[in-house]
Amino acid sequence: MKTIIIALVYVLFAKISFAQQDLLSFDEHNKYIYYQVTEAAGLTADTLHARGLNFLKTSYPKIKLKPTYTINDISAEGKYLVYGAPSVLKHERCEVSFQLNIEFKDQKYRYWLTGFVFTPYQRDRYGNFVPEPGIDFPLEIAMSKLDKKDVEGYLNETGAFCKQFGDHLKQFMLVAPKKEETTRKIVTDKW
Amino acid sequence: MKKKFLLLLFAVSAFCLTSRAQDTIKTTGDAPLVISGSVDTYFKDDFSGHGNIPTSFASDNNSVSIGMLDLGLKKSVGKASFVGELAFGPRGQYQSTPNGDGSQGNAGNSFNIQNLYVSYNFSDKFNVTAGYMATFIGYEVISPTGNFNYSTSYLFTAGPFQNAGLKATITFSDKVSLMAGIFNDNWNVYTATHDVSTFGAQLTVTPAKGWTAYLNLATGPTSGTIFDLTTAYQITGAFKLGLNAATFTPAHGGGGYDGVALYPNLAVSKAVTLGIRGEYFENKAIGTSPSAHVTGITATANIKTGPLTFIPEIRFDNAENKIFTDSDLAPTTSAAQFVLAAVYAF
Repeated sequence: MKTIIIALVYVLFAKISFAQQDLLSFDEHNKYIYYQVTEAAGLTADTLHARGLNFLKTSYPKIKLKPTYTINDISAEGKYLVYGAPSVLKHERCEVSFQLNIEFKDQKYRYWLTGFVFTPYQRDRYGNFVPEPGIDFPLEIAMSKLDKKDVEGYLNETGAFCKQFGDHLKQFMLVAPKKEETTRKIVTDKW
Repeated sequence: MKKKFLLLLFAVSAFCLTSRAQDTIKTTGDAPLVISGSVDTYFKDDFSGHGNIPTSFASDNNSVSIGMLDLGLKKSVGKASFVGELAFGPRGQYQSTPNGDGSQGNAGNSFNIQNLYVSYNFSDKFNVTAGYMATFIGYEVISPTGNFNYSTSYLFTAGPFQNAGLKATITFSDKVSLMAGIFNDNWNVYTATHDVSTFGAQLTVTPAKGWTAYLNLATGPTSGTIFDLTTAYQITGAFKLGLNAATFTPAHGGGGYDGVALYPNLAVSKAVTLGIRGEYFENKAIGTSPSAHVTGITATANIKTGPLTFIPEIRFDNAENKIFTDSDLAPTTSAAQFVLAAVYAF
């Protein structure tokens, strides 16, 4: 019994520590990348493209669409906050900006997040955490700038963000948008 | 019992995984309650054998002494947020905040408040904040995590620490913003003596990536008038140059001060950054007393290991007049000290 409990605890912590970081790979330019291809049976490229645009505008309004996107793809830039410490004593540690690309074909789409750039946060005189001016660097060289433990934490959170983003995208892409339900009007003077 | 324990373990595991996934990454929505702060401790040895340099903090000589426990809370919901920052210890209480509210019965009762304000974003470009806030003037701050040097400059010591009031900030672009507000008649008070009559303004300009400049003004019939320029430029990934210049004129009686300080820092590795503060500070002439100046050179290292920063520092001050004392307590024009501080930020 004791062995089982120890094993469960070990597996739990191992999963928390490593699972998200492992979601990231390196591309041919040695850049971190989160890359997924998703099947979307019965959906045309046009439909997927429209849903993709709608998804970004409604679910991630702070992501900036690049004006050059075509009917077959979407390019965008975004950033997210990393809170760092897995405890109650958490605050903004950094922001990570990224490049997003989504491409559409009939019955499938692919997307990838890459170009991760790290900007550390510092506490200002008013007790807010704000970006450190003039300091940013690619996540790939973070080990040479930051503590290894911190970098591993940031990579974990980057992986978690990418997975969360991909899961949201998939939910949105594969389900037809519901028509807005309007409240039925009742006329009380005729009955 | 074992089954219940296992169920509890699974429930806790599931909660941990779920809450991690929900809490750590947010591109939209409200941030969690942010808790942050620091603790600091230091040892100082003035080469005269007794405390000499009259700037703020690190005041105890030949002693392992405490700075403060700083504890900040911040919460944002929608467009509204608050910040409450409490400080305990010499640096955070009597050396930087007033005691009580000024009434006789409350004279010795520290409120421990460094920041206490509420804020509302009317839009992405327009914010209004009210309460007791760290001053917008100057380069150095009270929290040791916000400074490179552990000892402080004459400009910092002479300037305001906090301003209580109401301010509005409008952001014109990524490069320009303007704050203007009305503040209590005196600096560093929880309660106005007479009225809310200090006008304050801060023009923020970002001429280039990594370069930010703040042009500050605070003026009032009680608090006097201070112009302040604070700027920092991260010229390369390793080299940063900061500058602070200020001139202050009291509302009554003449006098005041001028000063300028330069802060070059160089990161020599990911753990070690070296820096120098060079300062010129002058008390203006008042009555029959002529002006008098003092210069200070402070060489400091920041050695980081995780959240802990060790700050060894050596400082040499040289004054026009004999404002210091030597080891025999005879007046002299120079003073020097060594400080080793440790600051833990969380």
